[in-house]
Amino acid sequence: MTDAVKPNVETTLVNLTIDNVPVSVPKGTLVVDAAKRIGIDIPVFCYHPKLEPVGMCRMCLVDIGLPAVNRETGKVETDKQGRPVINFGRALQTGCTVEVAEGMVVVGYTEKVQKARQDVLEFLLTSHPLDCPICDKGGECPLQNLTMAHGRSDSRFIFDEKIKLAKHVPLGEMIFLDRERCIQCARCTRFQDEIADDPVIGFEARGRSLQIVTYSEPGFDSIWSGNTTDICPVGALTTTDFRFGARPWELQASASLCTHCPVGCNTTLNTRREAKAGGEMVVKRVMPRQNEEVNEIWLCDKGRFAHHYAAKDDGRLTGPLVRRDGKLVAATWEKALALVAEKFEGAGKGLVTLAGGKLTNEDLYNLAGLAKARGGKALLDSRMAGGDLTAQVGLSTGSNLADLGKGDAALVVACDLEEEAPLWWLRVKQAAERGATVIVANPRRTKLERHAAFTLRYEYGHEAALVTALVGSFSPKRADLPAAVQALIRDKDVKDAGQAIAGAKDLIVFYGSEGTGLAESAALARACANLLIGTGHIGRPNNGLVAVWDKANAQGGWDMGLRPSADLAADLGAAKAAYIVAADPAGDSPALAEAVKAAGFVVVQDIRLSATAELADVVLPAAAFTERDGTFTSGERRVQRLHPAVPAYAGLRGDFAVTAQIAARLGVAQEKRLATGVFNQIAASVPAYAGLTSAALSEVREQWPVIGRGDVYYGGTTYDNKQGLGVQLPVSGDSPALTFEQPAEPAKFKGLKAVPVTRLYDRGTTVTPSAVLHPRLPGAFIALSVEDADKMKIEPGQKVQATLNGVTVEVEAHIDNSLAQGVVLAPRSFGLAIEGPCEITVKK
Amino acid sequence: MNALQTKYAKEVKAILAKYPDDQKRSAVMPLLYVAQREAGYVSRQHLADIAEIIEVTPTEVASIVGFYTLYHDQPEGKYRIQVCNDLPCAMRGADAFLQGVCENLGIEVGGTTDDGLVTVEAVMCLAACDKAPMFQVQDYENITYYEEQTVDSTLKLVDKWRKAGAKKK
Repeated sequence: MTDAVKPNVETTLVNLTIDNVPVSVPKGTLVVDAAKRIGIDIPVFCYHPKLEPVGMCRMCLVDIGLPAVNRETGKVETDKQGRPVINFGRALQTGCTVEVAEGMVVVGYTEKVQKARQDVLEFLLTSHPLDCPICDKGGECPLQNLTMAHGRSDSRFIFDEKIKLAKHVPLGEMIFLDRERCIQCARCTRFQDEIADDPVIGFEARGRSLQIVTYSEPGFDSIWSGNTTDICPVGALTTTDFRFGARPWELQASASLCTHCPVGCNTTLNTRREAKAGGEMVVKRVMPRQNEEVNEIWLCDKGRFAHHYAAKDDGRLTGPLVRRDGKLVAATWEKALALVAEKFEGAGKGLVTLAGGKLTNEDLYNLAGLAKARGGKALLDSRMAGGDLTAQVGLSTGSNLADLGKGDAALVVACDLEEEAPLWWLRVKQAAERGATVIVANPRRTKLERHAAFTLRYEYGHEAALVTALVGSFSPKRADLPAAVQALIRDKDVKDAGQAIAGAKDLIVFYGSEGTGLAESAALARACANLLIGTGHIGRPNNGLVAVWDKANAQGGWDMGLRPSADLAADLGAAKAAYIVAADPAGDSPALAEAVKAAGFVVVQDIRLSATAELADVVLPAAAFTERDGTFTSGERRVQRLHPAVPAYAGLRGDFAVTAQIAARLGVAQEKRLATGVFNQIAASVPAYAGLTSAALSEVREQWPVIGRGDVYYGGTTYDNKQGLGVQLPVSGDSPALTFEQPAEPAKFKGLKAVPVTRLYDRGTTVTPSAVLHPRLPGAFIALSVEDADKMKIEPGQKVQATLNGVTVEVEAHIDNSLAQGVVLAPRSFGLAIEGPCEITVKK
Repeated sequence: MNALQTKYAKEVKAILAKYPDDQKRSAVMPLLYVAQREAGYVSRQHLADIAEIIEVTPTEVASIVGFYTLYHDQPEGKYRIQVCNDLPCAMRGADAFLQGVCENLGIEVGGTTDDGLVTVEAVMCLAACDKAPMFQVQDYENITYYEEQTVDSTLKLVDKWRKAGAKKK
């Protein structure tokens, strides 16, 4: 990113002319960017507006002149007409490395420049295979486009003399390299180094032998790898997922959202009608869609590759199922809905609805509405608390993580941010690079620490105590604080970090779910809110609390009135009727499977037959996120909309519509036709959403850098955003008081203590259907401290029996040398029965 | 402490001491010398060890090895005879010399003798044009220049190495 587009940088304007067009741009702007701002295309290959310029490919050559200055007078010399005399250099210069200067004259249309560009292209093509007809990039290829615009129509090089190189080099399981197509621009290696901070691909050798290599285990070991295929200006890097999958010009583009984590990355779903799918529309790939306030132009590999769970394959539910003689058999909608309504009627207040956190706001609103109208419980399938607090002291309208810089601070606590919400990791890292003070508090090492000014360690269970100690570091001494807090207050790093937080201009606090269950999460959220309130960092843009939710739309769930259950097993077990939508408690935990079995009448609504669905009395199918309309609320409290990209199976609707049909049979009137209809009701009845309209969500503003189909050479194949940037909700306006609660002492166990952690690539139902990710999905595992592993004589990789909450699973033992003795990491969504800290026994 | 670090503890420590703690990566070149000294090339394990010591990725270390022609990532002959055959040297007979040496050793340019003693390579300018035919010899530790050479003198040199090696055994 050049200084010119960085916020928090003084913007002195500089005047120059480019191809005779006068333009004023901030000091420090590069010539190519200045031209782009006024719609003049200077062709580039190696330059990318998000990367530092290197001037390697020479494609952006321009003639640059500067006003002649009289050495004696120091004044600009003028000609007879009084115009400044311009001195052009003898050689052309690369527009991507030259910063603008007052009075500069840039010329790109002369024959000299055109010839130079033609020569550069001719060189690039000397050994390019020109296999465009079978190249995935063909149709959206900068090399192809720029050759059409600037290249010669013939080649003086002999085809037989072209170097033959390997064309199918797997750089890992997800990315393939075609060495012949590579033009050695280094966009990919620079992206991995500068943006992703995973320099796991590099250049080897020199000149014509230069090639991209990876020596990581596994190859190209980065969760950001897919982005390199977007910015690769040729077809050298392609994804295993899309490779030879379709031609870009056959694809239709629909605006969607990533539903994996609370960041809410904007995506474009590329679809086409395909013979091998029986003439159906198929999602061929997920591409990032520019939203500079959310995901910029990037997407993590989970967002890009884990979309297959929504595909129309054999695993999808296409019609209702009803249990008859112990088996689930197909039934008509009419019969299934009538049965559900009858049983719900009979259950009365014993109705428990459990909603998954990847449902849209509209689904959640109708579900909560149904539960409330029947006097039942509206539960959210999440193990995190604090959604009420984020509504009060969360980020308010106008916040943008890109605004954090010098003088500002970000605290990330109980969170492995890159694993839990990758794009936020990237944005917080960039804030640190702009000068913001990043404080990472976590019991074990995480990647964000590389960019932290302060790294604070605490014992699992002391997360709220740590945050309370941060408050204590700048407030009057309190004798009544627990010993753990007192000890942390005395820590010099905690004290210094506390001072930095208190003195920060803007402060954003991210709290995650590392090692926490619901109770610990509630205490942590409260402590974080206290810190923000105590230091006055609330109620204005770029200040507040962000929950790194365990589910993409957990914030929406809280806003629609659903709450996580303090004891889900008990609530489900006691339900006279359970209505479980897009959640899989039985798959998540064997203990919850027992609860589902104990529940009276179980209705599961989902897109696939989950473990919970297999236990259900009635299974209702719904349309997948790729097939429907709706809104999500991100952890930054930005309401965004997704659109249908492919048609649903005949008769299948969004979850809100299914719920509304059940509600109608129970005498509860709900909107069942359009998601936008439900959204209007939300806007009318949920205070924070007051006055929101679909039109407002669809508003777009000009974004920098310029991205889009006409500009693939510049920003890459990321899609421009024509469908809406979303609306960030205001905070509630109540000024909450500092309500102090004593942080509870963590539960002690006789044996080892297991703590839940989140891994990006888990074995959840939304990930495992994507075969492309399988090589990167670890099997069930636990991580032990070095001391405990030594004591039990367990080697890394050894299979062990882990027993949690009465359930024994065979897992692989990992060893984490940043773990404290007595603590065992137990990843969520790997078949381990863990919802919060608990005792674990490990046997060989 | 990985293998390289354990084996050359003192030396590695001395190398790291030359660089500030936050610029450890600058120690990559001398650490590669240490690694290459072992068997004339940098193994995959060396890459990983060095990467660990200076806190970069193995890929970054491999990029350095790949960039410099005097680092090798494959085991070859114990002595690498690197003959310059750029234009000025070629005009003084370097090409014929190179061919002659290779024919007598029974290898192609770039090849290694069966006993693993000698690899002969053609290289770019070594800045001794007036003394061609010339070559440098890269062994595990040093680089030595041999100027105004003939095929005979070179074969004698190889013979000397062979005898020295046999004696050691």
